[in-house]
Amino acid sequence: MPTRSPARLIVALSVAAVLAVFLLYTALRGTSTPTLTPSQLANHSGKLAVVGVVVGPLAGDSHSPQGLRFGLKNISGKSSVVPVVYRGDSPPPLFREGRNVVVSGSYAHGRVSGSNILTKCPSKYTSAKPA
Amino acid sequence: MADLGRAALVVTLGLSVYALVAGGVAARENRRRLSDSARNALFASFGTTLIAAVVLAVALVRHDFSFQYVAAHTNRTLSTPYALSAFWGGQEGSLLLWLLVLTGYGALAVAVNRRLLRDLTVWVVPVLAGIATFFSFMLVVISSPFRTQVAPLDGNGLTPSLQNPYMVAHPPMLYLGYVGLSIPFAFAAGALLSGRTDERWIVATRRWTLAAWTFLGFGQLLGAHWAYVEVGWGGYYAWDPVENAALMPWLAATAFLHSVMIQERKGMLKVWNMVLVALAFELSIFGTFLTRSGVVNSIHSFSKSPIGSWFLAFVVVSTLFSVGLIMWRLPLLKARTKLESALSREATFLYNNLLLVALCLTVLWGVLFPIVTQAFRGETRTIGRPYYDFFLRSFGLPLLLLMGIGPLIAWRKTSFRTLLRTLAIPIAVTAVCGLLLVVAGAGSSRPGLIAYTFSAFVLATIVLELVRGTRAVGSVFTLISRNRRRYGGYIVHAAIVLLAIGIAGSSAYGSTVERRLTPGQSMTISGYTLTLRDVQRTRVPNVTETRAVFDVKGRWNGTLSSGDNQYFNPPEPSREIGLKTSWLRAEDLYVIADDVNLKTKVVYVKVLVKPLVNLIWIAGIVFLIGSAVALWPDAREQRRLVTRLAPARA
Repeated sequence: MPTRSPARLIVALSVAAVLAVFLLYTALRGTSTPTLTPSQLANHSGKLAVVGVVVGPLAGDSHSPQGLRFGLKNISGKSSVVPVVYRGDSPPPLFREGRNVVVSGSYAHGRVSGSNILTKCPSKYTSAKPA
Repeated sequence: MADLGRAALVVTLGLSVYALVAGGVAARENRRRLSDSARNALFASFGTTLIAAVVLAVALVRHDFSFQYVAAHTNRTLSTPYALSAFWGGQEGSLLLWLLVLTGYGALAVAVNRRLLRDLTVWVVPVLAGIATFFSFMLVVISSPFRTQVAPLDGNGLTPSLQNPYMVAHPPMLYLGYVGLSIPFAFAAGALLSGRTDERWIVATRRWTLAAWTFLGFGQLLGAHWAYVEVGWGGYYAWDPVENAALMPWLAATAFLHSVMIQERKGMLKVWNMVLVALAFELSIFGTFLTRSGVVNSIHSFSKSPIGSWFLAFVVVSTLFSVGLIMWRLPLLKARTKLESALSREATFLYNNLLLVALCLTVLWGVLFPIVTQAFRGETRTIGRPYYDFFLRSFGLPLLLLMGIGPLIAWRKTSFRTLLRTLAIPIAVTAVCGLLLVVAGAGSSRPGLIAYTFSAFVLATIVLELVRGTRAVGSVFTLISRNRRRYGGYIVHAAIVLLAIGIAGSSAYGSTVERRLTPGQSMTISGYTLTLRDVQRTRVPNVTETRAVFDVKGRWNGTLSSGDNQYFNPPEPSREIGLKTSWLRAEDLYVIADDVNLKTKVVYVKVLVKPLVNLIWIAGIVFLIGSAVALWPDAREQRRLVTRLAPARA
């Protein structure tokens, strides 16, 4: 019957520990971004992402210096509408009033300056309700 | 009709519960007739699930909008194939498909093995029935596809982007993969419960695992290609939680497929294999929890679904069950031999496994990070692409290298000098390729250069193995047919190399240019000149197409158009890209007309040149060929295994 070598266990645990520390370090070093709802924005500033429902009216053009302007509110529950100015590529085709989106950018002076928008992908995973 | 579907599912639930309870009692008390009865109940559950599936399929094809599900996911304009694809277009249908595949796979796997591995299958039946009980309960109580209503005149329809052949095939492929992982899990649990922890459960499920892994891998590639040609953002993988949900069990299953070879040959890694097969299964369920629960933000789903918490509960219970079983049977899982050297094929497989599991857990950590930060810091934080890319490079490149070393290194032990001698030709080929690549300018991206040179190394080892083997037996076909598992594996390795080259080429050496153009204005990128000729709008049935038309000159001469479609039913837009694939140069010219203004005729356009991206799709075909070769019935191998396992059955 072969004997179990403690060296193997030590090596495996060491690798796991180094990996865990490294993962934590990498994750906490600044590569992560706060992802907030509009109602959570009040005490934040700097780089972040906001998840919410698009509120109209939609005005302007994302390619112009003034940007595309719209509002965001919480997906569930009540919240005030946070103004967003988005500059960059045209938003995805599915972007429109009432859509759930994630706007990446920064928050300052009560306004989100967006540089990227993700809209919900038309995916098999959603459970659409009949009209 | 709906009543028939509902009744069929209720009967499935009853049969599954019976197979679980009666099967468990029969296995514990060694009651043969009761065990046969439980097994027959499992077989019958496939029949009743099939009835439910046929009812839903018929309702979809007939546009029977009295079914809420049919009205929610189809409309009258949908052609029959796309109406049928709505079967997996929604949550309830997906669950039904899952149950159908599970009971079908389960019945077949038990039927095939019931005589040779009777002592195992008596325990496999209740395990599979336990999983089937969960899914049939979900379908009967929580999320039924057979809820009815007063039929509306028309349904909601299927999102235009999903009306794509890739989307007809991609989801069922993933389900065949996810659910297929239940089979090796059930046999592993059966081996632990019965106490027969020899290699028979691995032999019995090898092809099931391989098939599930193939479906999962190919399904992901289909999804990636769909994203590339249909979603129109220029990429094919976004490290989204839903995408990662399929990648994680695939990585765990990849590790398992390699480590079982060590157990089969050397009787080692028994605990590790049990852990891996449980991990792959749990991750397949956990992925569903992630995508259904809404606990993480995904571009695929933001909405919360009531089934998420049920899936979480199932993951917790089945994980506790797996961990408990492994702990209980630890004394039976002792290795027959031990690792003799860090320079051996066994050790190389172990390194491969550690890297695959590390990559899998890294991805899992990235997916879970928002939940962890919300729980501990009260603030959701997400991890972006740089994190995943970093770890893909850190673990993926050494994995690539090991893929070349593994097949050539000796079993048990070898010396560094012998290893170098064995690898002399591949190393020489790699050095020459590396130099040529640097001269060709590939040094602009260090990870890209490393990926290319490592790929050259792996391809050289595969060719070397094929040449040596062919010399010995006379023909490459004879060589492959005599050891399909081994050479099928090499073909799959070649597919992974193509994938690596495609990913490295398209991400590290691609170029992107964005411009604002009006008719007559031009832009250049990587030897192509694009001139905006015109913008136009045309109306065809059910869609208004807006297009910017570009004349392309330079490395290719022709016309490309891009813009958007606005559909009327359902009223959804979709982005339409312009794509020219050059197979000779192995690159794509990818045009995204970002914003087409018909009044001002101003177009914001983004153009990407993506070198070698098509190798990713070719890799998918090579991957399928390799898997098919490895899966193909092999009488010689079967005889060898029967001879080897005979004492275990005695």
